[in-house]
Amino acid sequence: MQSSFDLQYIIELMPILFKYLGVTMEMALWGFLFALILALGLALVRVFKIAFIQHLASLYISFFRGTPLLVQLFLLYYGFPQFMPIFIGMDAFTAAIIGLSLHFSAYMAESIRAAILGIDKSQMEACLSLGMTRLQAMKRVILPQASRVATPSLMNYFIDMIKSTSLAFTLGVAEIMAKAQMEAASSFKFFESFLAVAVIYWVVVIFFTRIQHLLEKRLNKAY
Amino acid sequence: MKIFFKKALIALVAVSSLLTVPAFAQQTVKVGMSGRYFPFTFSKRDVLQGFEVDVWNEIAKRSDYKVEYVTSSFSGLFGMLEAGHIDTIANQITITEARTAKYAFSVPYVIDGVQITVRKGRDDIQGLDDLKGKKVAVNLGSNFEQVLRKHDVNNEINIVTYDTGIEQDVALGRADAFIMDRVSSVQLIKEAGLPLQLAGHPFEEIQNAMPFLNKPSQLVIRDQVNTALAAMRADGKLAEISNKWFDTDITQ
Repeated sequence: MQSSFDLQYIIELMPILFKYLGVTMEMALWGFLFALILALGLALVRVFKIAFIQHLASLYISFFRGTPLLVQLFLLYYGFPQFMPIFIGMDAFTAAIIGLSLHFSAYMAESIRAAILGIDKSQMEACLSLGMTRLQAMKRVILPQASRVATPSLMNYFIDMIKSTSLAFTLGVAEIMAKAQMEAASSFKFFESFLAVAVIYWVVVIFFTRIQHLLEKRLNKAY
Repeated sequence: MKIFFKKALIALVAVSSLLTVPAFAQQTVKVGMSGRYFPFTFSKRDVLQGFEVDVWNEIAKRSDYKVEYVTSSFSGLFGMLEAGHIDTIANQITITEARTAKYAFSVPYVIDGVQITVRKGRDDIQGLDDLKGKKVAVNLGSNFEQVLRKHDVNNEINIVTYDTGIEQDVALGRADAFIMDRVSSVQLIKEAGLPLQLAGHPFEEIQNAMPFLNKPSQLVIRDQVNTALAAMRADGKLAEISNKWFDTDITQ
């Protein structure tokens, strides 16, 4: 294409996209919070090998790791309402957060489980010999150490989640990718629009990478 | 005394809410659109606009609706309709047999034809027959893929589906042609500044309308929309909206 690069257009588009960055971040932050809670539960169920439930947890993880996020979002938002009317009331924003949490919790559960298993077995045995219950030992001794190990990979999933929110437009959520596409539809400046949105994602991820470094520094203080 | 005041206040609120309810009884209709189909529905400086938006604002005015626009990827719109997230779709939905079997359509509000568009200067493609062995782009989830396949009985056309940017790939020469309706093809060429041209005359008249679910509550809305559309056609409002966006009347 011979059309020339339009920097002015990007400068005008940026404030419009920034207005919708809140929607993107809200989905990512809520999604991450719920995913973290779910993942911790799943990891503990699998570490403690709780009868029956551990197989359900394995099945859950297998499904949500084994199918694409987009398929899961479509199932949740377009599929379920057809035979479960209760889902009709769910708006696209909520569906996106639920979909993101379910999907990423499966991955995060595995990295939390790995971090827990990485803590030497003798520590649990020492705690039990002191009369703690297994749950107490987990809470007081194992999890604080495991959280340090798990932080880098969990932050990795958070970054992945921020970028995955761009799929939410397929459900009708007006986030930054949606706005970039809709603006490009009338201006035909595809390169500028998508470059602008790429830069915004990148800057956001750089910001959270800085936070990750600070967090890791704090968690490593004792070592 | 205090309790009396409280009671009086509650009574006052209750009465006033009873009085004001009718004023808020305006029905909200949710209209789904892609926001990515210029000039029917698009966003410019963060304002959703276009032919579809103008038509629906007018329908809402005449039917005393409050209209709420829901933008989503085109491929998601029918899923939303099916799932009850929206009441109808205003995105130049073509009436087809398969869709009529499933949905209740409003009266057609745009009459159009299927148009082949090629890169500027390419004169080897003038009609359907010339598309044999060529790479032809269509939008994912749009109706034009089926239209093309119907004419392509021997499977000689290489049909490629795109989620976005078909006009760009034809201008770049990555695809030989794209298929879209005539009106938006003309508009696309005019506004995009891309080296594109119409190839031959449009084929197959198509009628575009708004689909509703086949349920009593939705059929009521459909009938009200039909009344509004008929009135808009009769007093020239529909033609006026068309002329604003296309410099021609595409509603006849």
